Amino acid sequence: MNIHTYEKVWIVASMVLIVGFIATITYGAVGPGIAMIDDDGGDINPDEINDDERFAEPGVEHVGGNEYEVTVVAQAWSYTPSEIEIPANSEVTFYVTSRDVTHSFSVVGTNVNTMVVPGQVSEMTAKFDEPDEYGILCNEYCGEYHHTMEGKLNVVPEDEFDLTELSVEADDEIDAGNETTITANVTNGMQEDLETTVSLEIGNQTQEEDVTVPGDGSEEVAFTVDSADLDEGDNDWTVTVDDYEESGTLSVVTPEGNESADGGDGDA
Amino acid sequence: MRNAYLDQFPDEARVIKAAFWSSFIALAIGGVLGLVQALHRTDVFRFIQSPDYYTVLTAHGVLLVIVFTIFFLVGTFTWAVTTSLDRGVVDTRFTWAWYIMMVIGAALAGITIFSGFLESAPSILGSELNADVLFTFYAPLEAHPFFYIGLVVFVVGSWLAGVDWFRTWLAWRRENPDERIPLPTFMVLTTTLFWYICTLGVSLSILVFLLPWSLGITESVNPLLTRTMFWYFGHAVVYFWLMPAYLMWYTMLPKFSGGKLFSDPLARVVFVLFLLLSTPLGIHHQYLDPGIAEGYKFIAMTNTMFLLLPSLLTAFTVVASMEHGARQRGGEGYLGWLKALPWRDPIFTGMALAGLMFAAAGFSGMINAGMNINYLVHNTWWVVGHFHLTVGTAVALTFMAASYWFIPQLTGKELWNRSVALGQVVLWFIGMTFMTNAMHRSGLFGLPRRTAEPQYQGFDFEPAVGTVGEINMQVALGAVILTLSLALFLLNMVMTSIGSNSESIPDNTYADTLSGAEDSPRILDNLKLWTAIAVVLVIIAYTLPLASIIDAGGLFGPDIEGFRLSTWVDPAVIESLSEVIR
Repeated sequence: MNIHTYEKVWIVASMVLIVGFIATITYGAVGPGIAMIDDDGGDINPDEINDDERFAEPGVEHVGGNEYEVTVVAQAWSYTPSEIEIPANSEVTFYVTSRDVTHSFSVVGTNVNTMVVPGQVSEMTAKFDEPDEYGILCNEYCGEYHHTMEGKLNVVPEDEFDLTELSVEADDEIDAGNETTITANVTNGMQEDLETTVSLEIGNQTQEEDVTVPGDGSEEVAFTVDSADLDEGDNDWTVTVDDYEESGTLSVVTPEGNESADGGDGDA
Repeated sequence: MRNAYLDQFPDEARVIKAAFWSSFIALAIGGVLGLVQALHRTDVFRFIQSPDYYTVLTAHGVLLVIVFTIFFLVGTFTWAVTTSLDRGVVDTRFTWAWYIMMVIGAALAGITIFSGFLESAPSILGSELNADVLFTFYAPLEAHPFFYIGLVVFVVGSWLAGVDWFRTWLAWRRENPDERIPLPTFMVLTTTLFWYICTLGVSLSILVFLLPWSLGITESVNPLLTRTMFWYFGHAVVYFWLMPAYLMWYTMLPKFSGGKLFSDPLARVVFVLFLLLSTPLGIHHQYLDPGIAEGYKFIAMTNTMFLLLPSLLTAFTVVASMEHGARQRGGEGYLGWLKALPWRDPIFTGMALAGLMFAAAGFSGMINAGMNINYLVHNTWWVVGHFHLTVGTAVALTFMAASYWFIPQLTGKELWNRSVALGQVVLWFIGMTFMTNAMHRSGLFGLPRRTAEPQYQGFDFEPAVGTVGEINMQVALGAVILTLSLALFLLNMVMTSIGSNSESIPDNTYADTLSGAEDSPRILDNLKLWTAIAVVLVIIAYTLPLASIIDAGGLFGPDIEGFRLSTWVDPAVIESLSEVIR
């Protein structure tokens, strides 16, 4: 075959370019470790998402150290959760699946970008070094309001981040002269123990208790409240732990032959 | 004595003319819809509802990348086979048959898509007539059965066109047993072979999975499987519509430059490489898909990178041929020869500018092909910029420039206005320059593609250079210029066609070669061998990924029903619905 000299030079140069490209990409995979979305996430039946261990309650979970897992369910035309908060200096693995059609989960301005195909779980890991706010959008057409599908990813400073949850159980009413208990339940989603103080404010009283909530566990704190310390009628209360607050109202009522307006207790 | 194509093959000329006009009609409608989209997306002028944007987008995609390109292709290939074999097709009735079949298929799919604009679309076969599923029709988005049937009929029509070209070639071979396959016919045959290989995927996907499912015969689909079968076809199709442009660059552009093709053997090598590699790389469109192991993606990437070779070789041969032509015309110096090229000829200038834009497209394509860099640009407006340089310029502008040569050949009438034609191709180049540079840049900061209103409540885009407003203005301006260019093209075609006969039409010939077929080994013409290797490469690239997708999700998926998200829903309902979900 007759090939002109210049053509030979060109062919060799082209091959060098092509091999160079492949080498660069390979380096990206094995050097900095840029992994592709692959089949690690496994598959899932879209009808069973609500019963799935991972996706039944989508959101942020702490794995340990600076590692977190975020599960997200995409559906036309929103993400659950729609707003995600993670700490800076963290390594986050996202698990995303779809309830209906094909979507994407794309964190704008980053290389967190994956297709979300029904029946499949997309898994990808990314590092977030600095606090920042990112938009999340769907860049795969998913129906007529596709353009409204968005979310937020907030990377907050490490010391402002926790996975604490507070819930409070309390009676609405107490007979004058009795005692009641207001129980605060503090859940710690982090793997490390959480040392904190739970406080209750009621009337003009404040009670405090130091607790250690174990990693990935919860702790109950019971505050005993004596009606004698309260005013007749409504008493507002607030339970506080770190930045979390729950509040309610406790009414002190007079038992037996009371003159409360409704008097409906006796209705059969 | 005039010796235009019309004089040599009057019967074939009529079919080819019909195919070109079908192509122009698709171009006209699809092009205008492009303007509607550009103005809507950029918020310059919104006169449709945003949900209708996706109907417009579906029509724009299907009409331009399937109907426009492939009708032009079948016309060009029929011309190339008959011209280079110097014999007519075996039976023009067969030629008309496949052409009509393609028209029926295109019309059926087109009507189904456009029915999506109706307030209440008619119900046929138990479901509403529409297909707001875009060009990719990813399940479980579901279209009306007519959409899928239309596509299949169109593709089968193109298969029969391939049969026609092969039949004509076999008849020629019996008459000329020892001759090499003429280069244009060689290009047609190799292209047709990989078209058969790649369309098998999408046809099976439609006939086995999507059509029965949309008719309600089967209950469920495996979305990843049908998606993978689409992309098995979806990248080869881009080479399919590119090959007529390559054919023109190899066999006509050297002639218009005033010289000869630099090398026939390398042209054959290029087309053999396309036959081998254009299918086993479709997974590079699925770099970001879950459920496909990284190794398979790597194989697709390697094949993609090696497919750069034929395009790089084409760049060399085409530029070398142009230089040869320029020197024949008295051009001198290292770069001074460029001035000697026939820049006042719209056919030459259109093709040369298209080739120049294709070089730029090659660079953005290399970025897309790099699987980990692709994370940054996947499904952003960058990709739209990329394929407006490839199919939107390299292919479309070459086709329009070629039409200035073809239509006089097919009608025996002189081109209505050469100056308007020259202005038209230059305007296309300018319009695309505005539009595609802005689209590419916007992808780098994450502006999504396929979106009616890329304005979000919770965040703003942060371009490194320029502003979102400036990018939108460039796209809108580019689209207006392109539409003007398109109008001038169509005007020229209409005026030429209604003009009067002329005796001064150039002879129907194609470019001679400096280094001819005799310089290449005969094995290059062994189509059976290359087809066999191509099939083996496809088997290597696809068996394992398909097996693991079917293994995980089953042939018909885990009970995944169709979603027709295209029926009209009150936006307020959606608003409250999404509140509830939150």
